[in-house]
Amino acid sequence: MTRKISIDPITRLEGHGKIEIFLDDAGAVEDCYMQIPELRGFERFVVGRPIEELPRIVTRICGVCPACHHMASAKAVDECFGGEVAPLAVKLRRMYYNAHFMHSHIAHFYALAAPDFVLGPDADPAVRNVLGVVGKVGLEIGGAVIASRGKAQEIQRIIGGRSTQDIWCIPGGVAKGLRPDELEQIKPMAADLYDFTQFSLQLFRDVVLANPTYLEIIANGPYTLDVHNMGLVDENNAVDFYDGQVRVVDFEGAEICRYEPREYADYVAEHVEPWSYLKFPYLKRRGWKGFVEGIDTPIYCATPLSRLNVADRMATPKAQEGFEEMFTTLGGHPSRMLLAQHWARLVEMVQNAEALRMYCDDPEITGDAYRVIPERVTGEGVAIVEAMRGTLTHHYTCDENAICTSANLIVGTTNNNAPIHMVTRKVAESLIEPGVEPDQGILNMIEMAFRAFDPCYSCATHSLPGQMPLRVTVHKGGRVTHDFRRGC
Amino acid sequence: MTSGADAERGVHVAGAAPAAPAVKTLLLGMGNPILGDDAVGIRVAQLLNRRLGPVRGLEVREECCTGGLELLEVVEGFDRLIVLDSIKTEGGRPGHWYRFDGEALRETMHLNNVHDANFATAMELGRQMGGHLPAAADIHIFAVEISENLTFSDSLSPPVEAAVPEIVDEMYEEIVALLGVRPATEATVPPLCDTCR
Repeated sequence: MTRKISIDPITRLEGHGKIEIFLDDAGAVEDCYMQIPELRGFERFVVGRPIEELPRIVTRICGVCPACHHMASAKAVDECFGGEVAPLAVKLRRMYYNAHFMHSHIAHFYALAAPDFVLGPDADPAVRNVLGVVGKVGLEIGGAVIASRGKAQEIQRIIGGRSTQDIWCIPGGVAKGLRPDELEQIKPMAADLYDFTQFSLQLFRDVVLANPTYLEIIANGPYTLDVHNMGLVDENNAVDFYDGQVRVVDFEGAEICRYEPREYADYVAEHVEPWSYLKFPYLKRRGWKGFVEGIDTPIYCATPLSRLNVADRMATPKAQEGFEEMFTTLGGHPSRMLLAQHWARLVEMVQNAEALRMYCDDPEITGDAYRVIPERVTGEGVAIVEAMRGTLTHHYTCDENAICTSANLIVGTTNNNAPIHMVTRKVAESLIEPGVEPDQGILNMIEMAFRAFDPCYSCATHSLPGQMPLRVTVHKGGRVTHDFRRGC
Repeated sequence: MTSGADAERGVHVAGAAPAAPAVKTLLLGMGNPILGDDAVGIRVAQLLNRRLGPVRGLEVREECCTGGLELLEVVEGFDRLIVLDSIKTEGGRPGHWYRFDGEALRETMHLNNVHDANFATAMELGRQMGGHLPAAADIHIFAVEISENLTFSDSLSPPVEAAVPEIVDEMYEEIVALLGVRPATEATVPPLCDTCR
């Protein structure tokens, strides 16, 4: 039986994402729904496996931020075995994690955010990509982007043995320490990465902040939401990517709550809508009130901007300067301007780079005591880290033989499902008015809205074409009036 | 007297003229091994690697889980790329497969991955940066139509699993023709161990 099909399948790809916009008789937006398929069955997949295997398995959940899941899982497994971790291992994990953050933020900013601002949101989609950015700012910068990302990746490989699909964290510590000769390889790369963060911030100042049109889009476009913010902070209320307490702050700056990771279920619940595959987390104690903005809303964001919104400060000095500059420009702290996510990522990169250099200068970093052997099984572990795109929770239970009996994950993007839905609708409402014909520009502007959240949808899949096809359908009077497709 | 084919296979014959440099080819099995049919590219790569045996100029990476800009580091330095992957199309029949080249991905070049550049964009960026990367016409993609890849599982779906032997047979013929070689022997491929199955 002939199985080979010779026609080009690319134009017939099945869409992963669907946005349905319903117009009323006057042509204004009446309803807007997003349907994004999620990966499923993970909890069932891991039950029955030795709990210490989970940090190696979870790296397959996300093709873009495997180290985030690896870290969260490792910390949860640590708790399943009593919670003691070698202090040197914590330093090494933090060092690794800062490199991982940088490699991801660099890719996101230059491949995803920069095209909108360097080329403009109205630019031809054919050039509104990283190639267009390089074409405008120069090949040298393009080379620096690839090289810097490669250095961050290489630092991960040196510390953890692999640059992706980590297998490095083990209960009580890590499987490999850092040799002095390896440290000497990392030091110049860490220095280069710090320089690149300064370059990136300056590029943002020169290209974005110096352009009144872009500032207007950031500050006064439809990309704002009056919802709350969530992120991890340390004991000084400084941004912490690896550990700390979860802090929730309202959009006016008042603290709503703060909690230890093990208490997450007391503070966060998930709402289900019949029209969506996604669940919508909200602040449990406020109760679900619908997709509403306002000071009493139970809805929160967990994003780079949220992390800076809930913190009083950054943890490192030059990052703190960036923090102050950003919020002064935005008109105060916290900020509701969702497109400032991209700026927040650049400020975070500075902290990542400063922290890397700090660990490089730590005389203990090449020590041998990078693991403690666990001596008991507690049966349960909850851990939270900041993934690049939001607060990530792993919660496991296991039996007395340390065999997994349950797993629950709240990934970064899940926290943002409600605000993504809301801002998508808000943008659609602002752009589609009676008498205005929807066009491809709507697709671009809607994409800007949810791209700012850097959402994680089915990222662990590798099926062609390696992106999320998106389809936007506009309905009026019971029939489809427009059908826009991207990648399908 | 040696034949070009012998030289391609790396078979040494005394007094033979040196063979022309082989085209450096990378064969990649793309996929996630725990996402059901998403693993089909990996499975087919494993079986083809064992079927092909050593081939001069060919490097096989049975499992590649990276994408976007990270692929640049994987692909840099090769003249030709063969990708084994999964695909899901409207109305497609699981177990069928397609072959196309990198030119077909050009129309997606402007469409961004949510976090990163997509495959075609990453390749083009690498070329513009002066990297040694295969031209679009030298990127050969073999994609298997799948049932679904959103549910965690370390098994392929029944229709895809059933199709794998014939897919391997058919792809093998096309790939050896593409490589311009015929391995010295075509021994029966031993069954995969339980770990790889």
